[in-house]
Amino acid sequence: MSVVVPGEHVPAQHVNLKLGPGLTQSSSSPTVISTRAGTLNHSANRSKWWVESNSRRYVPAPQESVIGIVTQKAIGSLVYARISLAHKDMEPELECFDAQTRKSEGFGELKGGFMVRCSLSMCRKLLDPNHFLLPLLGSQIPLEVAVGVNGRVWISSKELKHTIAISRCIEAVDPDGEGMEEKALRTFLGSLDA
Amino acid sequence: MTRPDGRSPHDIRPITAEFDDLARVDGSARFGFGSTPSALASFTGPIEVRLAAENPSRLSLDVVVRPLSGIPGTREKKTGSVLGSVLKQSLVMEANPRTAVVLVVQSLTDEGSLASMINASTMACMASASVPMRGVVCAVDVGMTDDDFIVDPSPEEKQHTSASGCFAFHIQGLQRVECIWTNWTGSGFDEQELLQARTIARESVINVWKTLKETVARREKLPLEAEDEMEI
Repeated sequence: MSVVVPGEHVPAQHVNLKLGPGLTQSSSSPTVISTRAGTLNHSANRSKWWVESNSRRYVPAPQESVIGIVTQKAIGSLVYARISLAHKDMEPELECFDAQTRKSEGFGELKGGFMVRCSLSMCRKLLDPNHFLLPLLGSQIPLEVAVGVNGRVWISSKELKHTIAISRCIEAVDPDGEGMEEKALRTFLGSLDA
Repeated sequence: MTRPDGRSPHDIRPITAEFDDLARVDGSARFGFGSTPSALASFTGPIEVRLAAENPSRLSLDVVVRPLSGIPGTREKKTGSVLGSVLKQSLVMEANPRTAVVLVVQSLTDEGSLASMINASTMACMASASVPMRGVVCAVDVGMTDDDFIVDPSPEEKQHTSASGCFAFHIQGLQRVECIWTNWTGSGFDEQELLQARTIARESVINVWKTLKETVARREKLPLEAEDEMEI
């Protein structure tokens, strides 16, 4: 893990090299360069490399699950969908069912609940099963959550004060905001009237 | 030759470079040569573009420059045009066609420093991490006096230079540092002297680049490792 800024050479070499976000290889030379400022990461066997950085602006990529707001017909309703097509020259396309099982699997309209916005790295943290926040909140408050990697999280809870508490906790842990760690968050949660 | 503030000719003032936290933009940063920032830049995009400005193969870059006081006029339009052309060298414009990107630069001092604006703009682009960049654009001022070339002349020092200008470089790691723009102007200099000024600027701009990288490292909460690790 090291810091890179755009344009720097990255020592990524492997027989089955896979470049993730933030890296590119020019067609003229085999050298790999970084295209964003952030932390350079690679998998244990050095075959997968990528640059991790926080952002507020989502750019669609295929196979990612996002939360969208309908703009025609059922205006304002929330939808949890999978990006089936994302190409820079075409409009992105969404699907509301799982490609493999052909069933809804949680995709589709999100009824009720409340949507909050957060940074992109916060979404990735929420999707990480080892991150502390959702299990901690779930142990104290009954909740349903849908996380879109486009910076949007849908929360559904029976009581309004619970919804507000969850929303404030997400804001507090967001690295783009305060970036609270577990201990501080526990204290924060305790201080809320939930 | 010692300068009024004690610097040696090729020393730049201690840099102020910070990422900012403006609420409604995708990335923002402040930059200044000296203890206070002289430019605040914000970067937002890719966002929807109005039909007239839509380009089918690349994004459209809109640059707005605001002076500290007064209404933006011709000079700000010119500065905006320079900033746009300089940053286009590093932004991968083809990555997000049919979208727009807005760069707003607010001058925080009376004189306004183009070099600081360029550096702040680059930082704002890096902060938003939404448009891929080929490299980092950094700039530094150089002035020519009777005795020597001075780097990063203060406003007072500029008045005693016979020629001066800002040099902008596109830096792709320490391997490639390419001068992409300058507004060197003055009286009584020849081509040799211009090339000399550019060489001196090129050496100094590396320090600006290093400071920007340190600022990124602080934001990522990582220690900065030795440069050798990154070179192959």
